Amino acid sequence: MNDLTRPDNVDPPYLFEGYRSTRLRAPQQALLALPPGALDMPGPRVPARFVRDSDNDLTTRAKGHPLGEKMIVSGRILDESGRAVGRSLVEIWQANSAGRYDHPSDTHEAPLDPNFTGIGRAFTDDDGWYRFVTIKPGAYPWGNHKFAWRPQHIHFSLLGNAPIQRLVTQMYFPGDPLLPIDPVYNSVPDERARTRMIASLALENGIEGIALGYRFDIVLAGVSATPLGI
Amino acid sequence: MAGRTPSQTVGPFFSEALRWKDGGKVRLAGEGESVVLVGRITDGAGAPVADALVETWQAFPEGPAVAEGNPRGFARVETGPDGMFRIETRMPPGKAPCLDVTLFARGLLRALRTRVYFAPESAVRSDPLLASIASSPRVATLVARREGAEYRWNVRLQGEGETVFFAA
Repeated sequence: MNDLTRPDNVDPPYLFEGYRSTRLRAPQQALLALPPGALDMPGPRVPARFVRDSDNDLTTRAKGHPLGEKMIVSGRILDESGRAVGRSLVEIWQANSAGRYDHPSDTHEAPLDPNFTGIGRAFTDDDGWYRFVTIKPGAYPWGNHKFAWRPQHIHFSLLGNAPIQRLVTQMYFPGDPLLPIDPVYNSVPDERARTRMIASLALENGIEGIALGYRFDIVLAGVSATPLGI
Repeated sequence: MAGRTPSQTVGPFFSEALRWKDGGKVRLAGEGESVVLVGRITDGAGAPVADALVETWQAFPEGPAVAEGNPRGFARVETGPDGMFRIETRMPPGKAPCLDVTLFARGLLRALRTRVYFAPESAVRSDPLLASIASSPRVATLVARREGAEYRWNVRLQGEGETVFFAA
């Protein structure tokens, strides 16, 4: 095993046979265990104007409205001890409703949507809340194995407030029949941890008659109370 | 204790979303020796990793808070088709100056963490962080080599000459 300092089975291993691209990219040597707290330091402080107010609405980037099911995803970002991760940068990207990314490497034969880039940014507020207005992404095929299709998902990148909180993850949708057969989702060893990547339907987070609401909370690593160097 | 949210791969389609303007030019206050870090990321077959995201952090950047643009002390760049990346910064302080490095890529279900040092290998071996491998030849994988005006540091994800990555 090339892992893990955290024996909680939350994060996937580097080598996961079912996900083909890990085979030549997973380290084979043991990871170097560091002294406790060695990387426990404050992280980058992103300037306030790095994010514009409209950056969290992916449906208003063009003159027209994007195709698909309008949705709102909101939630709180917390650390392991339940403290809000306030004023931290959240970046998302996703396929359009047809399952196509507005990205030069995506060659999937589904249409681009001229009114949708699938890219958004937001800061959390002081209580750790974020919110995005978007379109429900489509599922899409990928070459990992025969009949491989990724479940519908939104990519989340979290800067947190410290380097050890840095996280890139994916948000999935409840009841997706592709989840049980998706190697990326199932690379997470612990089943309960896996289900934490699934948003819940939260109608009250939506807009009546306009957008369906989802709730997706994210828990980042805890920062020790007395970080080194402070 | 709330359970952590697991990591998932950044996938192949992140670059339009995570590309920052001037992301490879680190903002720092004050003066200092400029450092240009250039490197190539390769996989277990020696092939370039053309879809990786490289982030570096030098802790405690000095200077007043800034209102716009990129955060101080932080770089984020993607690799090119040849697996190469380039970061412009200034020499970090200390006897063994270094940048903390985080790598993301398709095929990496979790980020890889490591460090790159701009110091002679002997000074790097004395870094307490590396105490448990101080006498290992693998320490050399963390040392950037001066080549003309640039520092060169290649990252091997797997196999011969595999870079030392941290459990964190």
